[in-house]
Amino acid sequence: MAELSLNRLGKTYPGSARAALADVTATIADGEFIALLGPSGCGKTTLLRLLAGFEGPTEGEIHVGGTLIASRRNLVPPEERNMGIVFQSYALWPHMSVARNIAYPLEVRGIAKPERSTRVAAALEMTGLSDFADRAPAALSGGQRQRVALARALVADPSAVLLDEPLANLDLALRGTMQEVFTGFHARTGATMVYVTHDQTEAMAMADRVAVMSEGRIRQFAAPEVLYNEPADDFVAGFVGDGAVLPALAEGPRGPGRAQVRVLGHSLEARARCAAPDRICARPEDITLSDTGPIRAEVRACTYQGGRFRLTLAAQGGARLIAFSRARARLGETLGLSLGRPWAYAGGAAHG
Amino acid sequence: MSPMRSVMTRGSRSEGRLLSLLMVPVILVTLAPVARLLVEGISGETGFSASHLVPVLTAEATRIALAHSLVTAGLGTVISCLLGGAFAFLVALTDLRAKAALVFCLMIPMMIPPQITALAWTQVTGPSSVLLKTLGIAPPLGAPQPLYSPLGIALLLGIQHTSIVFLTLRAGLRAIPPEAVEAARAAGARGFRLWRQVVLPLSLPSLAAGTAMAFVTALGNFGIPAMLGIPARYSTLPTLIYQRLSGMGPSVLPEISVLALLIGAVALLGVIAHRLFLRRRAYGLIGLANRPLEISLGRARPLVETLLWGVILLILVLPLLALLATSLVPAYGVPLTLQTLTLEGWREALFHQPVTARAFANSFRLAGGAALVLMAVCLPLGWLMLRRPTRLTRCFDLLVDLPYALPGVVLAIACILLFLNLPFTERTLYGTAWIIFIAYLARFFPIMLRPVQAALAQLDPAMEEAAQSSGAALSRRLRTILLPLIAPAAAAGGILVFLTAFNELTVSALLWSSGTETLGVVIFNLDDSGETVMASAVSVSVVLVVVVLMGLIQLGARHLPKGVVPWQS
Repeated sequence: MAELSLNRLGKTYPGSARAALADVTATIADGEFIALLGPSGCGKTTLLRLLAGFEGPTEGEIHVGGTLIASRRNLVPPEERNMGIVFQSYALWPHMSVARNIAYPLEVRGIAKPERSTRVAAALEMTGLSDFADRAPAALSGGQRQRVALARALVADPSAVLLDEPLANLDLALRGTMQEVFTGFHARTGATMVYVTHDQTEAMAMADRVAVMSEGRIRQFAAPEVLYNEPADDFVAGFVGDGAVLPALAEGPRGPGRAQVRVLGHSLEARARCAAPDRICARPEDITLSDTGPIRAEVRACTYQGGRFRLTLAAQGGARLIAFSRARARLGETLGLSLGRPWAYAGGAAHG
Repeated sequence: MSPMRSVMTRGSRSEGRLLSLLMVPVILVTLAPVARLLVEGISGETGFSASHLVPVLTAEATRIALAHSLVTAGLGTVISCLLGGAFAFLVALTDLRAKAALVFCLMIPMMIPPQITALAWTQVTGPSSVLLKTLGIAPPLGAPQPLYSPLGIALLLGIQHTSIVFLTLRAGLRAIPPEAVEAARAAGARGFRLWRQVVLPLSLPSLAAGTAMAFVTALGNFGIPAMLGIPARYSTLPTLIYQRLSGMGPSVLPEISVLALLIGAVALLGVIAHRLFLRRRAYGLIGLANRPLEISLGRARPLVETLLWGVILLILVLPLLALLATSLVPAYGVPLTLQTLTLEGWREALFHQPVTARAFANSFRLAGGAALVLMAVCLPLGWLMLRRPTRLTRCFDLLVDLPYALPGVVLAIACILLFLNLPFTERTLYGTAWIIFIAYLARFFPIMLRPVQAALAQLDPAMEEAAQSSGAALSRRLRTILLPLIAPAAAAGGILVFLTAFNELTVSALLWSSGTETLGVVIFNLDDSGETVMASAVSVSVVLVVVVLMGLIQLGARHLPKGVVPWQS
């Protein structure tokens, strides 16, 4: 295991005007579980393939534990990078048994048979596949296949394990189970893991830190709770979690981490780290419904979400808000609400 | 943890570079003879000149022969597609019984050399048919032979190349995940709609590949138009070339080079059309195709089975019976009765002619050697062309069909031109078995390369990337991951190469010398000298050897990886 560091990484495909990846700088600590999150086409898979070595960067560098593995001039091929990879399609070799699939990276490294057997047995044990060692991959279910792929990626003690939307082909219930398999595996092995997904629940549930990507750039790279509570820009605020982004007028700082802002015609205190925020991110938790609330809003939609109702509200000027309610609300009804300490930020500043 | 060493980096890169060196001998063998031919076609006494080009291309005979070639090859391809397509769809998708036997029988016509096919069929229909005379239903002497016609040529070309379409299409159908079809059935599609809206679109790439290959093969076929067209004064390009050459000798080499280039150009157009079609129609198939499909035919099953076996009877059993009948009479044209039945022709052909045994051995060695060498070369080459495409490999991809599309006679001449004098030495390959071997390699290259390429292209790239991330260098990936995964396609290609080469006549007809005769040459020489009975006897014995060989593979099929035997279901 080792630290991965990306330095101003960029990738432009020949014949394409737009960069698939631009100016990506990040450091991934040894043993960290990182998720790359973003809509399709945001560059997350390109970044993963650059890490794996299937493609080379057109700009910038990648270092593993201080060793340069990729730049425009120098490119260590994938087979010499010591990375494990898990594909969405599993990519198990149908002509090899489960045990042989897992043993392959060890075979390639010339590890002697006794040690190989021990390590394969351990990998099978850890993924709960001991009873399936001699099966053909075709005879396994989707979840089992993905566990074989995970065992194969980890068996040779790689610098990092790269996972490319590994749960996209699985059903919802199985996804939950597999998330536990991944996090459990991560906890036991301490492997550095880079996990590509477009599913924010998945990313937020498993990763230590999440890199939210859009249009080839990392918009914010932070712990899940930070992404949720303190989004850096409009894209992250809108992409991660529920809620609304509203324009705000700065009325001056109120001490460290606080700012006075005017939102929907009302002055209120917000959490902030910049001096002149111009918008707020109002999560449903920030909104308290009460008949005496200063802000009036009309109910536009009401859906039950188990234990609570999710209301879509339209405030004055048509601004949309999302709130939770214990009681069902009628469509068209007008409610009062107040905003408690939302997150305020400068929308245009993060990427000017 | 394995350290990442820059030494290894260089080692791995040079591995890829080393692989591209493979292009040198491959191009030398496949394209150099054709290039030599091109030079011959466009050069006069003093350098470049159109002195041969223009008169030959504008000649009336050329125009007519070209039209005839297109008509017969086109019609023949339609017949191949209808027959091979119907068999492939029914065998691959439905619950027919005795599929293995059916497929086995369908494969046999392809293994019979074209001129033997023609010979056998003329024994079925003509006024001197031994079979018909024996049955007492022969047309009167002097009645026209109905097969001496464009339709007759097209029909036999179609039958001859049915298995090409069948094999390619069925391989493609096998790659369709059963879920794709089952999803459509669940959606309520059935019967013709299911076939037209789901199965057909998914199998179009392989159908197109099979069609292109059948067309190109039919275009270059010499045996059938020679046997049926020459008596009817109906020339196609290959027979025109043969007639010119045999009539006037080597002095017409430049002229027939032009004709050869013309037919090569037509074949190239076919290949390009196929490419353009594929570009718009390639679907990525998701899922593992690990279960065969078995759609129930219901009550129609006995009827469909009867129809299919009826076709087998008509295109295989009947002509072979006629051939067998001819081989058993004392003289050609005598009806076969208990009194006239004799094994004299067999005894003479097989035991009194030492050349026959020698020809058997030669053909075995040449065909087997070509199949093995091509198998060993085509996997790394196919990988190189798919994963490291360069202008050179793309060019090669487009041109590699040329030696196969050219009539064998012309490739033979191209080889003579190139290898008559080996550069930098006093030696010649002409007159040795090596020139035949090289010509076989060049000619049958696409038969091996195309299935391997198709298999590689259909493979999920992640299969190889997973091995790469596991630390496997190129040679190891080729050996342990790609080879086993494409083994079925490679083996199918290898068997096709062997069987095609084993029965080949047109290349060896011009390249053989005493001691290096092939079976095709022996049969042709016997037939040419009027020994129809002996030619039939050798032909029947060749068919027997091929069937026994196929039977042996069939018996061992249980121990071979799935899909290695092309006719195995």
